[in-house]
Amino acid sequence: MIVVMRLEDITLEYPVPRQYRKENILPSGVRNISLEVKQGEVLGIIGRNGSGKSTLLKIMAGVFPPDSGTIAARGSVSLLAGVGVGFHKELTGRENAYLYGALMGRTTEQIDELIEEIQSFAELNHHFDRPIRTYSSGMKSRLGISVATAFKPDLLLIDEVLGVGDVSFRQKSENRVKDLIAESGSVVIVSHSMGLLKSICTRMLLIENGSVVEMGIPTDVMNTYSQQMRVNE
Amino acid sequence: MAGTGGEKPLLFLWGKRSLHRLPLIVFTDLFRSRHLLRLLVKRDLNARYRRAYLGYAWAMLEPLLLAVVYTFIFTILVGSSDPLYSVKIILGIIGWSTFARSLTTSTKSLNSSINLFQFARVPKTVFATSGTLTNAVLALISLTCLIPFYFIHELPITVNLFMLPVWLMILSFTGWAIGLLLAPIACKIPDILNLINFLVRAGFFLSPVMWTYDMFNSRFGSGWHAIVAHMNPTVVPITGMRDAVIGESSAIPGYGYGMCFCIGLLAYIFGAMVFERKAHRAVVNV
Repeated sequence: MIVVMRLEDITLEYPVPRQYRKENILPSGVRNISLEVKQGEVLGIIGRNGSGKSTLLKIMAGVFPPDSGTIAARGSVSLLAGVGVGFHKELTGRENAYLYGALMGRTTEQIDELIEEIQSFAELNHHFDRPIRTYSSGMKSRLGISVATAFKPDLLLIDEVLGVGDVSFRQKSENRVKDLIAESGSVVIVSHSMGLLKSICTRMLLIENGSVVEMGIPTDVMNTYSQQMRVNE
Repeated sequence: MAGTGGEKPLLFLWGKRSLHRLPLIVFTDLFRSRHLLRLLVKRDLNARYRRAYLGYAWAMLEPLLLAVVYTFIFTILVGSSDPLYSVKIILGIIGWSTFARSLTTSTKSLNSSINLFQFARVPKTVFATSGTLTNAVLALISLTCLIPFYFIHELPITVNLFMLPVWLMILSFTGWAIGLLLAPIACKIPDILNLINFLVRAGFFLSPVMWTYDMFNSRFGSGWHAIVAHMNPTVVPITGMRDAVIGESSAIPGYGYGMCFCIGLLAYIFGAMVFERKAHRAVVNV
């Protein structure tokens, strides 16, 4: 099976804030992570808040460089993190969509082809040509999901962005992501929604304090995670 | 695109880049990202004056109004006899603002654009450069405030006028290059941003904004004072801007031009090296 991403012994530690340096605190981040993402695979990452899931996705997206280890990718990689991140409040939804597309490496012509689809999926109608500062948080979320999922990469990284909007939009977003998974073939998804992960993941990874605890069949990894949570309670 | 991953090679994301090639790599990255760069500049220009009734006219009004204030102080209160003093002040303000804004925006770029590069792998120099280009465009617009003075003072229109945007670009480039050098340090040591704010305020008085090169020469001559003054990278370009508009020729020595170009070039070489090597890790601190 073709490998679309390979991480070898990746470590990234955030600096410990000055006031805690004398307390011998373990720096947060990720440590000695090695894994491969294969074409056609949906890898789910679970773990408690602050365990290093989002940091790992940022390293995979090439946003953060690791302190040590190597990372190699085949084709384009996109990170879908934080709906509305990067939007400029003075610009219209349309202008922000073009800017987002350019950040994802798309040309104006490529964005031109997708702009109608972005507008109709977001259900913003005439608001699409109004400044973002006039949007409600739900409208911003709809635009964010619509724009971010319109550009289809070879490897899609999703970080907790599917729980936004009303029930019908949430369902619509989940379906959109499932379509994306079917099209792009390879997805790495971080979520606390066990139902969603169980339905789409082919493999799962459990992280604790920045290190891999278990990687394998989703049901097994979820059981380990549930046990871990019970012990901590 | 999707589903074609098998046809593409597996590439290392953080391959080693030799230090001496980094200045060239910065330009290559910027050229490759020109589409994004254009959109970011357009975004900044659109957003800056969108809610103002006078729009882009503010780019012209700002130096004009400041010049009115300074001319009032120096011509009426201090008693300066130079009839072209207001023109010199306008050029000083435009030149200094261009340098100071380029320096400030590129130094702050990693801190201020964190939202934009948290979800996409794009060259971080794009964010340092887009702010600088926006300021350069605004500076070019603000030059239009000189038009009435051409009629009032019957200023000569010569070939030298072509040097006006060139000097402006040199100021912008030097500010941007020094900003590249400082941006990764500012992520780790936020005090740098306070220091820059102070230097911009102090630099206004230490640069030829309210004084001219000839005033300096007649007071201090061409001794060591002059060498120290030429270490300020804005002295020669601002004087060059004034010469281009007024049609005079200030007695800038050859070493003055040499120092100005060397400071800009060295700032770029070291700035590109430091930025490319340190910026990616530095943003983890933000």
